[in-house]
Amino acid sequence: MTFKHFIKTITFIEILKGMALTLRRMFSRAVTIQYPDERRKIAPGFRGQHALSKRGGKAKCVGCGLCATICPSQCISITREKGQVTKYQIELLRCIYCGFCVEACPYGAISLTGNYEYSAYNKQDLMMTKEKLLSNWDKYMPGTKGEEYYKKFWRPMSEDFGTPPGQAMYGGKR
Amino acid sequence: MIKMQEPEKIFETRELNVNMGPQHPATHGVLRVVLDLDGETIVRLTPYVGYLHRGIEKLGENLSYFQALPLTDRMDYVSAMSNNIGYCVAVEKLYGIEAPPRAKFIRTIVGELSRISNHLLWLATHALDIGAMTVFLYCFREREWILELFEMICGARLTVTYPRVGGVRNDISQEFIDHLVKFLAEFPSRILEYETLIDQNRIWLKRTVGIGVISAEEAINWGMTGPTLRGSGIPYDIRKFMPYDAYDQVEFEVPIGTAGDTYDRYRCRMLELRQSVKIIRQCLEKLPAGPVMADAPKFVLPPKDKMLIITHPVNEIAYFIDEKACKGCGMCLRACPAKAITGEKKKPHKIDQSLCLQCATCFVTCKFKALKIIPGGKGQPEEKLVELSAQPVADEFKKAQEALVAHFDFIKKGPKVPEGEVYVATEVPKGELGFYFVSDGTHKPYRMRVRSPSFIHAGCLERLCKGHLVADVIANIGTIDIVLGECDR
Ligand code: SF4
Ligand code: SF4
Ligand code: SF4
Ligand code: SF4
Repeated sequence: MTFKHFIKTITFIEILKGMALTLRRMFSRAVTIQYPDERRKIAPGFRGQHALSKRGGKAKCVGCGLCATICPSQCISITREKGQVTKYQIELLRCIYCGFCVEACPYGAISLTGNYEYSAYNKQDLMMTKEKLLSNWDKYMPGTKGEEYYKKFWRPMSEDFGTPPGQAMYGGKR
Repeated sequence: MIKMQEPEKIFETRELNVNMGPQHPATHGVLRVVLDLDGETIVRLTPYVGYLHRGIEKLGENLSYFQALPLTDRMDYVSAMSNNIGYCVAVEKLYGIEAPPRAKFIRTIVGELSRISNHLLWLATHALDIGAMTVFLYCFREREWILELFEMICGARLTVTYPRVGGVRNDISQEFIDHLVKFLAEFPSRILEYETLIDQNRIWLKRTVGIGVISAEEAINWGMTGPTLRGSGIPYDIRKFMPYDAYDQVEFEVPIGTAGDTYDRYRCRMLELRQSVKIIRQCLEKLPAGPVMADAPKFVLPPKDKMLIITHPVNEIAYFIDEKACKGCGMCLRACPAKAITGEKKKPHKIDQSLCLQCATCFVTCKFKALKIIPGGKGQPEEKLVELSAQPVADEFKKAQEALVAHFDFIKKGPKVPEGEVYVATEVPKGELGFYFVSDGTHKPYRMRVRSPSFIHAGCLERLCKGHLVADVIANIGTIDIVLGECDR
């Protein structure tokens, strides 16, 4: 054992260094969030509970069933009667929030909203019906929010296959 | 005379059989190990896996290549992004397509971010298992940062499903780059913090130095990969040896250990954190402009804006069967979800406009070009539709129709894949993740097989633990960095 090593051992220098660090951290701002009193800001395009979009107050969904076809967990079921989509149900308990339904829908009729707080006491509350999904649109995509969502997160678009102006680059836009 | 019995005969000792897990907090999921103990020393250790088995490989065989992507998130949920990338690179090779350079760089960036977040979680839990609570909290602070970055690009924090076969889902935003630059500037000092806490800490050293020693030769023989192998001094890294994505365009070192013990593997991962920062920085600087999806119309979803002239004014459009062209094959009748089409075999079919949903399914189904999309035809009488259908179709509208057909075909049938088989390995944070596909020429894999590093590392556990004390099992499970979701699949 060298002298240096001996000094290190008896002075607990490395432990003291660690404690100095934790002590310093005690006076910095806390990074924790006091949920549910505080909530963190959800990024745009968050993949939470679904919404069926509307145009002119009417549902855009035509009931083509592409979303149900692509859904990896097969949790969308659609019933059509007399030229109407009468039932559009998403089983949230099975949904994995992959967002493929949004990508599959050619009509831009379904979207994922920023709502992630929908725990419930029974299964029925977690079956999203057409009415609930349509009201989600008004609730979570008010004004132009829905439009912006589709502009940014309804992919792929032609610009993904080309070089759009203003593409994000290191050190500022192109 | 009393005959004395031999003392050994009276006090017979037996090995103690101890069950650890599957609900043990230090087994990183649901690993169950059965220990045979001689006092405190481990004589035998048997890992039992499979508690988290969801049949991902079999599920993958029943989904198209596009659909199976989210399954890979759920294997190693700690580094979902790397798993996605591994899957996409493998399927791309099967398809024979390549992602464009920008997508490759983005993937490399997010892949390395996922490596950092994986190593942070590993360090956090490893340290917590050994008894260092503070490191755990500090690591989670930075991990949260990375998860927020993920949320910024794809809207999900953990199960990201961000890369796509042929590129990535969406381009990154300027906001993301700015945040990432901030993170890169700050993160190296945070690594120093973790090291201040444990690097020289005598408890940490006592618990890790000389524990779970494995020589280079043995590590290879056991099939170890990733930092677990590199701790023994083998500089084997797929990013260097078989570069994929943009790894051949960045410079980085592969940190290796010498002693092959738990401490060296810890050092390797700490140095890898720094290398990842270096890789991301280079990728950002070199990030080229350009497309993020491959120009391979058969294998990727067609651009949505091309169909907008049909799909957006959907309420004004009518679908109409041209009586002269209709062969009466009945394909559209069977495909129509609203049962709006009637007709007899070999006779022209008819759409009941009051039942039609305007969903375009019949249009993409008809092979004889008998179905017509008529803009502004909704609610018009039959004669008017006949008249409108005779009018020539604008070029733009034709292109939209083609895109619509391609879109429906992609979703309903999925891209047909050339026959053959591929094995593609990528370097995920835990080691070598390999995807093996056998394709029989359909849109689903005939066989999908995943070579997961966690499974192989779990197998080495007995070799690492034998002869050590019970408490070292925890350190050894930590050091091989397993996640049972990936191990059991
Ligand atoms: S949401 Fe879109 S894809 Fe799903 S049935 Fe409606 S229109 Fe079709
Ligand atoms: S998000 Fe994914 S799992 Fe959920 S409904 Fe849509 S396609 Fe299905
Ligand atoms: S557009 Fe859809 S609902 Fe209408 S006839 Fe064609 S398949 Fe049936
Ligand atoms: S698929 Fe085309 S040809 Fe066949 S019945 Fe329908 S419209 Fe006529």
